[in-house]
Amino acid sequence: MGDGYTGKILRLNLTNGEVSTMDTAKYEEYGGGHGMGSAIFWDLVPDKTISGFDPGNVITIMGSPLSGTLAPAVAGRTEVQGIGVQGYPIEWFTRSNFGGRFSGQMKFAGWDGIVVEGASDKPVWVDIRNDKVEIKDAEGLWGLDTTETQEEIWRIVQNGVETEWRSLGKMRDAGRTTQRPAVLTIGPVGESKSRTAALIHDSGNGAGQGGFGGVWGAKNLKAISVIGTGSATVADPKALWEARMWAMQYGTAGNWDEFAPLPMGSMFAAAPGSGGKAYAPPDQPASPMGCMGCHKNCRARFKSGASNASTCVDYLFYTAWDQAAHGAYTQVLLDAAEAAQRAGINVYQLESGIIWLNHLYTEGILGKGKEIETELDFTQIGQASFITKLIDMWVNQYDIGADLHDGLARCAEKWGRYEKDTKTGILPLQEWGYSHHYDARTEVEWGYGSLIGERDINEHDFNMLVFWAPSVAALFGAESACPADLLATLAEEKLTPYNDPMMMDYSDEGIYSEAMAKTVAWHRHYTRYFKQSLNYCDWAYMDLFNPWIEDGRGLTPEAEPKFFNAVTGKNLTFEEGMEIGRKIWNLDRSVWVLQGRDRDLEVFTDYNYEVGALPGYTTYEVPYVMPVYENGTWSYKSVAGRKLDRDKVEDWKTKFYTLEGWSTDKGWPTRATLEELGLKHVADELDSKDKLGA
Amino acid sequence: MADNDIKKVEPGEHKEVTRRQFITGVGGAGVGLVLGGLLVKGFFLPEEVFAVPASEGYLLVDTKKCAGCASCMLACSLVHEGACNLSLSRIQVQSNAFAAFAEEGSVVQQQCRQCTYPACVDACPTGALHVDPKNGNVRTVDASKCIGCERCVEACPFTPSRMQWNFLDKHAQKCDLCVDTPFMTEDGGPGGQQACVAVCPTRAISFTTEIPRQADVGYKVNLREGMAGWAVAGFPTLDDGSYAPTTAAPEAPAAGH
Repeated sequence: MGDGYTGKILRLNLTNGEVSTMDTAKYEEYGGGHGMGSAIFWDLVPDKTISGFDPGNVITIMGSPLSGTLAPAVAGRTEVQGIGVQGYPIEWFTRSNFGGRFSGQMKFAGWDGIVVEGASDKPVWVDIRNDKVEIKDAEGLWGLDTTETQEEIWRIVQNGVETEWRSLGKMRDAGRTTQRPAVLTIGPVGESKSRTAALIHDSGNGAGQGGFGGVWGAKNLKAISVIGTGSATVADPKALWEARMWAMQYGTAGNWDEFAPLPMGSMFAAAPGSGGKAYAPPDQPASPMGCMGCHKNCRARFKSGASNASTCVDYLFYTAWDQAAHGAYTQVLLDAAEAAQRAGINVYQLESGIIWLNHLYTEGILGKGKEIETELDFTQIGQASFITKLIDMWVNQYDIGADLHDGLARCAEKWGRYEKDTKTGILPLQEWGYSHHYDARTEVEWGYGSLIGERDINEHDFNMLVFWAPSVAALFGAESACPADLLATLAEEKLTPYNDPMMMDYSDEGIYSEAMAKTVAWHRHYTRYFKQSLNYCDWAYMDLFNPWIEDGRGLTPEAEPKFFNAVTGKNLTFEEGMEIGRKIWNLDRSVWVLQGRDRDLEVFTDYNYEVGALPGYTTYEVPYVMPVYENGTWSYKSVAGRKLDRDKVEDWKTKFYTLEGWSTDKGWPTRATLEELGLKHVADELDSKDKLGA
Repeated sequence: MADNDIKKVEPGEHKEVTRRQFITGVGGAGVGLVLGGLLVKGFFLPEEVFAVPASEGYLLVDTKKCAGCASCMLACSLVHEGACNLSLSRIQVQSNAFAAFAEEGSVVQQQCRQCTYPACVDACPTGALHVDPKNGNVRTVDASKCIGCERCVEACPFTPSRMQWNFLDKHAQKCDLCVDTPFMTEDGGPGGQQACVAVCPTRAISFTTEIPRQADVGYKVNLREGMAGWAVAGFPTLDDGSYAPTTAAPEAPAAGH
């Protein structure tokens, strides 16, 4: 029956064109995805301090044992890692991931992951058809946008057979398919080695954060295409089938007969198209779209065909401007998303960038004949012409685009504005040069996780329950579907191993508490294993509260190991998975330490300490209504206007480092902590560099 | 019917039906040879014809509900083969991420139609492909009799062929409405559950015992109108992308009024 693994990882050396394999078994203890990627990176990159643009940088593109299986919201998701080029001031070892069907096809082709080393001296793409792997000349693809590239590769691989069964070899039993290959590609902005370049797959799937598109550009790697006809093996097929049927009750798929607009709070429960249609023009006909094996299909296919399958920031970076200019969401926002994806730009940088540039324009600093000269016409903001022009400048590196191309942080530094504009917050970069997403001052688990980590975490596990649900409810004078006391109870029941209801206290005291250290640690360990190593989708897991279930209890922590065990035949407990997550987190932390991380660097930009968290000031949030425990009672309360206290943040860091077993002076893992986790070789390496926590 | 001349028919199987048997009804099983939903008149038939009883179940799909997630394909291969494999799924979903809603080829579920005239069964020289009277006359494959000639694959009139070559186990296979599903807990077949129907997140596949009109319109249907939640979820219910019942906005008043 197998165990979900193919047993092989594909290794590509672009410098010498060598194609080889690695045994998955060596890294199986990490589950898959991120854990394997970190361990492989550790082994293959002796000097972790190199630039992301250095040919020695290794990029891992990993599936998991659940790739290509019927486990819900995981089959196609893919984890990408390596030294990113977006991080500021240091190019941290980082991660991104994307949905679609890439890792599923990777599994069907017989690969648990792909490791890319070196750099080619000319543009290449990689053509994978089962075990046949070829590094090919990409001269004909270089310069094409991400859609054009994929369509051209489809044409090459399908070779005129588009709808009939197509054999992947000359022999009768070579395997046949009716599917298009899954292609991961960069656009023109990646080719020019931008720190703001994404990897794009199909439509609406991008690994945007980290600047991996620019890393591929530096490697002269245009695209990887994969198609397979093999199986995703399953140790206990009947158990997997039963698990999928069991999970139906937690989602819309099992509740269509009673379907009604859902209260916020559960990503797993959400309706088809709920993400894709949220900000689309309301009159545009659409159908749902989903990633491979998804149980809910949160995206949408639009009548215009523009930016199909896009969700959230994919087009949200321009929705408010579109609405302000036109009084409603229009086709402009979908076309803007389409243009950004074709170029292959990390849209988070566009989102914050437009906010910042508009501030500078409004203040008379930027514009025609101004201190920062530009031809960009800000009277047209919100129109298609504005975003088209900005993207063109960005891609082709002229006008202000020449500097924006290097990312907002480095652009601001060049313009001499980084310090002052991150102090006022008009340049909303919260930490490490990453765009303000959810607010560190209010939803602290998001901010702390990003700061102690290396990027905007973009993990919505708590976000829907502690911020969106109560805040949106408050806008309408209603109560959150999950009462605050139930939320605390669910935390106590489900957030193993800490099981502390105070983990949900976002009061002015709670955000600096040891319980909040537990919240952040739980989140780091949970996501590192279950969502980034097993690759469960962020828009489905965790499921703490579920509106389809009578008592509101979601499918976490039962579901995560249930699917894994059915596929692998193992008997993993949730707590064991959390411990593997802790191991991966400490491995990542050790890489960052080698790159130069210490306690003193872990500070938010100034606006987080000096400007109140005002709704809508930095990006798109509604008022910050969060769960608090005050005077012996749980409730939701507005914490808008809150600033972080520098000393208290430092106190909290001490609590967090202590909880993690890191030195409190530097925030470095200790030998005892690393050896307890089976990372003696990592401890030895840190020791040799005099960077072991004491 | 040249192929039929060389077919060896097992006792008790009805690979060939005499004109008389056909006209009087095949074992009382029902419809027989149906074209476009109409019985072919007996007097048009030769003395010996190929005719089989109609299947007691059919899969219908709604291409405008399909999200292209391929959950049906993963489920199909899982319950039949014990592994998830798109190439061994008996339903094939083909999609183009860049195509617009309702655009030709944007997304389509290619399911076996359990044809009233099953060309695949007719083409099989060994009787491996047969009508299974014990399971509602579903058209299915006895792998032990399959010699791998793939005539069934070629005979299927649809693209992609709903007959497929199982290149791992070396035999032809097709949709059996989940009769032979050792890895599905529930009973399958025309009287039971079909994995693709059960798993589809948007209910874009349904099962019927009524014989569909033998054309695309009979098998590619609107499953949106009868589902209240679909419009509530914000999706159009009519094929032209509008909602049912239509709520057309009043025309803007002309100038001067």
